[in-house]
Amino acid sequence: MHNHTHKKESGSSGLPKIILLGNPNVGKSVIFGYLTGRYVTVSNYPGTTVEISRGKTTINKVAYSVIDTPGVNGLLPMSEDEEVTRNILLNEKQERIVQVADAKNLNRALLISLELAEMGLPFILDLNLYDEAASRGVTIDTGRLSGILGVEVIATVATRRKGLDKLLSGIKDPRPSTFRVRYGNNIEDAIATVEALLPEANISGRSLALMILSGDKSLTDWLHSNLDPGKISAIEDIATTLQGKYKEPLGYVIGKKRMAEAEKIMELVFTISKPERGGLREQIGRLAMHPIWGIPVLIVVLYIMYLFVGDFGAGTLVDFLETVVFERYISPWAIRVADTVIPFDLVKDLLVGEYGLITMALSYAIAIVLPIVGTFFIAFSILEDSGYLPRLAVMVNRIFKLIGLNGKAVLPMVLGLGCDTMATMTTRILDSKKDRIVVTLLLALGVPCSAQLGVILGMLGGISFWAMVVWLGVIVCVLFLTGYLAAKVIPGESSDFIYELPPIRMPQFKNIAFKTVARVDWYLKEAVPLFILGTLVLFVMDKLYLLAIIQKVASPVVEDFLGLPVKATDAFLIGFLRRDYGAAGLYALQKDGLMDPLQTVVSLVTMTLFIPCIANLFMIIKERGGRAALLMMAFIFPFALIVGGILNFVLRAVGAEF
Amino acid sequence: MLDKDTEEVLELIWVTIESGEPAEMERVLRESGVSEVDKHIGVLSQEGLIEISGPRISMTTRGEELGRGVVRRQRLAEWLLSNVLELEREHWEGTACEFEHILSSEVTESICTFLGHPPLCPHGKQIPQGDCCRRFSKEIKPLVLSLTELAPGEKGRIVFVAPKHHDRLDKLGSFGLVPGTVVKLHQKQPTYVLDIGETSIAVDYDIVKDIYVKKVASN
Repeated sequence: MHNHTHKKESGSSGLPKIILLGNPNVGKSVIFGYLTGRYVTVSNYPGTTVEISRGKTTINKVAYSVIDTPGVNGLLPMSEDEEVTRNILLNEKQERIVQVADAKNLNRALLISLELAEMGLPFILDLNLYDEAASRGVTIDTGRLSGILGVEVIATVATRRKGLDKLLSGIKDPRPSTFRVRYGNNIEDAIATVEALLPEANISGRSLALMILSGDKSLTDWLHSNLDPGKISAIEDIATTLQGKYKEPLGYVIGKKRMAEAEKIMELVFTISKPERGGLREQIGRLAMHPIWGIPVLIVVLYIMYLFVGDFGAGTLVDFLETVVFERYISPWAIRVADTVIPFDLVKDLLVGEYGLITMALSYAIAIVLPIVGTFFIAFSILEDSGYLPRLAVMVNRIFKLIGLNGKAVLPMVLGLGCDTMATMTTRILDSKKDRIVVTLLLALGVPCSAQLGVILGMLGGISFWAMVVWLGVIVCVLFLTGYLAAKVIPGESSDFIYELPPIRMPQFKNIAFKTVARVDWYLKEAVPLFILGTLVLFVMDKLYLLAIIQKVASPVVEDFLGLPVKATDAFLIGFLRRDYGAAGLYALQKDGLMDPLQTVVSLVTMTLFIPCIANLFMIIKERGGRAALLMMAFIFPFALIVGGILNFVLRAVGAEF
Repeated sequence: MLDKDTEEVLELIWVTIESGEPAEMERVLRESGVSEVDKHIGVLSQEGLIEISGPRISMTTRGEELGRGVVRRQRLAEWLLSNVLELEREHWEGTACEFEHILSSEVTESICTFLGHPPLCPHGKQIPQGDCCRRFSKEIKPLVLSLTELAPGEKGRIVFVAPKHHDRLDKLGSFGLVPGTVVKLHQKQPTYVLDIGETSIAVDYDIVKDIYVKKVASN
């Protein structure tokens, strides 16, 4: 659902670089957008950016390449997205770093500043979200802070562009900080010895030595490609000896020392005048994760979303676009034009026939799916920007624990309701490999993306409330069961649930608009070509009579086992490309009166669990590897059909009516 | 009643076995800091606390029990001195060794209860449990308690985080959850939420229960 920025890393390599880094959810992507004019997704939850975005900017006629990085809480990586950021510092020559900070959480930002100082890298410190800090009674003596750190310190409100001019002038020549943390004789001696063994690198030997002593396992590869084994084992010996002198892990000892330094600086520059608490937004934030009130809040949120997406988007808008715009105007007009202008029947069919590009592909894509994804993207963007999603994670943490995951997994799962492809990438915010695999599998199996969800809700809404309950119940049970079993089967440890809750914020119209446009644009570019490809495939197969053969071969499964009309085979075929397209095919069947309510429910359950779209498949291969992807598909495809078949059998046996 | 040096030797044997290694006679002779080690070993053997077969020393049930008591007293004393009285390591390390020889069982139980039955000593080793821990009696209000024992809205200053996993400590550290920090317990249900300064974080019960705090007045 995001624009795939990583594809556009073109030709900015020779330029001087500006790197944006800092804690999660402090506004790096907003500043990136300001500098480069390119929109990257901005939301109000930690972990929105999980990969690097690059762009270009020109300041005073000098061109720069700008890099946006995933947020980190320290430069000692704890998860995949944090490692991405650290590796940028390690592997690329740095000239200019902008450390973006959340002003009200200056102490945590200072931990990163101190690490940057240790690395010897030139940076400026941008205290962003300064308005939010001010409203909580925070004042920061930026002049004094600048004096202590020896780097420029500025205050900004990036979303309102306040103070960004100072950022531009500060970026030109940042200085390395002069501040040094002393760690006491034991550690300092070890640093000196290790430093002497290390090769030249982009960051200072002192900082590398500290990372190694802190037990940073993610450095192992780097060490092995830059250092001979003898030196590595010498370094390991030093670390072991040093650890022997402390009761706590070295990384913790070092971290605590830094924290104490940060605390000392805080006392000099940071004052908070009025006691915190109060305010409507804070009230809402508290209610949203209250053990009792959180549930009605969730229900209200879901209901409003349903009204907007299910009722307005999937009902009103789809009706209008489909029955008025397409059926009354575009299709008849296209057919008339084709009849008079194109002499060949084959070409005519290709455009406006049963499997025609205009009558099928475009009418599905534009009339059925687009209004639904459009309204969903708007609603979802508002949710993202409000800060509600992390509180939802608090609400469902216990439930997720039952399947061996934790509340953090709710983020990719909810994002999956937007687009499973991007959600699969967002699994990077999870801390253990096992969690990432389980969530990827659940996304691929049973989390319908916005496009598919909209079509499904539209269809079920047309039947009855109970149809919706059965569909939802089956999907949720399947997800739970699969998650539970997967957590047992897949080796590895589950990760802890530690997740930062951002303040509730008023979503800004501009950002919602930008984000929705970017996502709709992405949908049109990525989904519509696949719709057209799918239609072409159906068209060709139809003309070669292959479709009839496939329908015949599949008929024991589709007709006998699932109890569906043979035409549903078409829907499943295009479902291989995109599930939402397949669902749209089912929608057409239902509308033409070819499926009764029971068949509709069975077909929708099967389609929801059906294999993920091609884009998602590629993302799974990219993130989890080909073998894992293959295994998942080998499980999902038969599993979806089996669940559908069983449901068909059960519903008929109990004589269910909707 | 064993004399002080004999107890030291018994303790050394107990700790060696605890660490999963065999208590070799030669090792005990080498590592114990007391003079006339062989004499003390002789006493232990006479009292029926240890058995010597060739180069190896094993403990009898009674010896094991006595040794456990000595270690328990020492580790509790370490906890008391380092985390409650907040003495520097150099000051408490020697003193704790003295404690183990003088504490009566009643006093030991009181201290243990007072501290909230801590599971681990400051070195990260297990503190052997006493009867009081098993009964979980809380007649004496513990001064240091697990963060989970605060009521929502109460604040505590972190005294100690039980170091179970290294990654976990680092991660808590990056949110400022280190000894000395004041945290406010915002809520317990459906998931624990802690406020540290201007940051709110959601954390699992399993992690929160390993954070030990001294209660501070909340305004």
